[in-house]
Amino acid sequence: MRVAAGVDVGSTQTKAILMEENARPLIMARALVDTGANVRKAAEHAFQVLCQEAGIHAHDVGFVVGTGYGRYNISFGNAQMTEISCHARGAHFVFPNTRTVIDMGGQDSKAISVGASGEVLDFVMNDKCAAGTGRFLANAAEVMGIRLDEVGPLSLQALQPVKITTVCTVFVESDILSYLAQGKKGEDILGGVHQAIAKRTVSLARRVPIEPAITLTGGVARNIGMVRALEGVLGAQLQVSPDAHFIGAIGAAIFALEKLDRSFESDIWSPEHAPHSGN
Amino acid sequence: MTQPKTSEYRGQIHQRQKELMLKWYQRLDSSAHTGLPPSVSLMISGNCVELLEAFDAVPLYPEINALQLAIRHQSLEPILAAEELGYAADNCAYVKADIGSYLKGITPTGGKLPRPALVLCNFVGCNTYVKWFEHVAALTGSRLYVLDVPFCREAEPSQADIAYVVKQLQELVSVLENITGKKFDYERFQQAVRCAAEVEDLWSRIKHLARRSPSPFDAYFDAITLMGPLYVYRGSPEGVAFFRAALQELEEKVANGEGVYEQEKFRLVMEGPPPYPYFRTFRDMFAKWKATAVASTYSTVGGLWEFGDRHDPARPFESVALHMLSQNVTNRNYLQRYDQIRRYVEEWQADGVIIHFVKSCRLFSAGQGDMRDYFTKSLHLPTLYIESDLEDPRYFSEAQIRNRIDAFFEALEHSKLTGAAHPAASA
Repeated sequence: MRVAAGVDVGSTQTKAILMEENARPLIMARALVDTGANVRKAAEHAFQVLCQEAGIHAHDVGFVVGTGYGRYNISFGNAQMTEISCHARGAHFVFPNTRTVIDMGGQDSKAISVGASGEVLDFVMNDKCAAGTGRFLANAAEVMGIRLDEVGPLSLQALQPVKITTVCTVFVESDILSYLAQGKKGEDILGGVHQAIAKRTVSLARRVPIEPAITLTGGVARNIGMVRALEGVLGAQLQVSPDAHFIGAIGAAIFALEKLDRSFESDIWSPEHAPHSGN
Repeated sequence: MTQPKTSEYRGQIHQRQKELMLKWYQRLDSSAHTGLPPSVSLMISGNCVELLEAFDAVPLYPEINALQLAIRHQSLEPILAAEELGYAADNCAYVKADIGSYLKGITPTGGKLPRPALVLCNFVGCNTYVKWFEHVAALTGSRLYVLDVPFCREAEPSQADIAYVVKQLQELVSVLENITGKKFDYERFQQAVRCAAEVEDLWSRIKHLARRSPSPFDAYFDAITLMGPLYVYRGSPEGVAFFRAALQELEEKVANGEGVYEQEKFRLVMEGPPPYPYFRTFRDMFAKWKATAVASTYSTVGGLWEFGDRHDPARPFESVALHMLSQNVTNRNYLQRYDQIRRYVEEWQADGVIIHFVKSCRLFSAGQGDMRDYFTKSLHLPTLYIESDLEDPRYFSEAQIRNRIDAFFEALEHSKLTGAAHPAASA
């Protein structure tokens, strides 16, 4: 039995997947930990949890691919890939008919055009701004004093969704406070928040050709309100896996499995070793 | 990933470039202290340095000062000084760095910059310049001359456009006579234009060397080394000698089969200026993938010569006017820029296009989203769109830019390995 792992160190949470080599690779274990301030430790912790879950030793893992913003801080990894490649590959693994991935994470959202074998054909990402991301929803939840996992189901009860005119993660707070002061219902405000994010995300995604089937990935995919809001704006159904949150790590694990068979030198790159480093 | 053995171009030309640019700063310092040589502040894009050469006046390019400040991590202080004065966050950061450096007395070399004898607003492809140079003239009390160059609206400028610019250049001659106290020497002007034509020929031949595989130099990052002498010394025998030596050195590299990397993996065309505050970091992001820029539009801001245009000593005024009107990338229309990039991709055999959007330069950058769509959707070229700024360090988000660049090359590598259709990418 040969196994490999993918570790996706995101801005909010670190996800890890252990995979066993097979005709169709099998997911052996999953780990999910908060990233926190120490990225390196979060990655190590997730990897430990993964090994414990599967009941194997770390040295039994043949290859580890790191992805996500913290990928350069994974001390035990063998290679790094961007989460763009990993989400495309992971989505293709879960839903082989995927041609478009919409990934909504903690601090960025992206749309990826995917080829028949899970390769990236094109991608767009949000600019240096958290508008339209998980952070936007988290801020809205905080202002309204409700738990993040409640906002999606509540938003579906909206009868008259308000209009949120800003997509700024900071300024949305004042919009929400203003609506609360006007006595608007919480579900209508949340309905408006979800609509605003969905419109922003779809307008971004339209810059790549949106071809069916569309797979939604990332932590925000667990929010049923966002799934429905996106489907409404897109006018199409989304594929959402129970493992949506782990898709990046799944893609990384598949790349890691593929690399088991190649005589690979360590493929780790670090910005500090750059030839022109100095600024 | 193993580190590429890279050769940031460090030949004797690099040393000679430093000497020439230092000499230029020394002339500016002399001008600041003694008034001689007289200095003329003007814009790089489509500049008429040949006319200044005829009067032995030294050009003062605010863009070069600004980028030198940025590359030395000194740009934020003058930018903040300009913002304190009232400049908005999204004003051109070159403007703010320049105005701030006047206010704070900051220069990249520590020397003194002169009060220009003339602020020549040559206004080629950038309408921010009018207000910028008006402010410089107000700050310094220098004389201002606005040379109005119409945008290139058609494939070629009209006879009326050419006559309009020639008339202004002739008027400018009187202004220069007045501020330098020298009588205009037509033959000296012709000589400067002759030197320019020779430099352009050499520069063009250098750029065509990048069609070789491997390219002997990076036509974006290394080209910037050669661009200073191109703008300051183009009308002088020193410029000719410099570019002759540069060509020879690079031809030797071609003969020896030397490229930027031991093994060139990707060939790119670059659109837009680099993020100077993070110049080396940005270069490393491409070095990691052994990607060489084989052509760039930025290196044609001062003049576009690789497709055959040259100054002409037989008709110096007309050829300077033509240069300003249509022989530089910034004054040309967007469809011409599309075509320029398309030719680079085809003739220089590039794998993809990188578009660097400059946050604080709406004029150069507006429309680059459509440009990206044109290359990806109409020409099916892998195209990466990234955003930061050429001068303001606050707009550079290293992790995000690195992520986009890595993803672009991962997809490009996959398509090269599998022979799949071109991917394209945007951020």
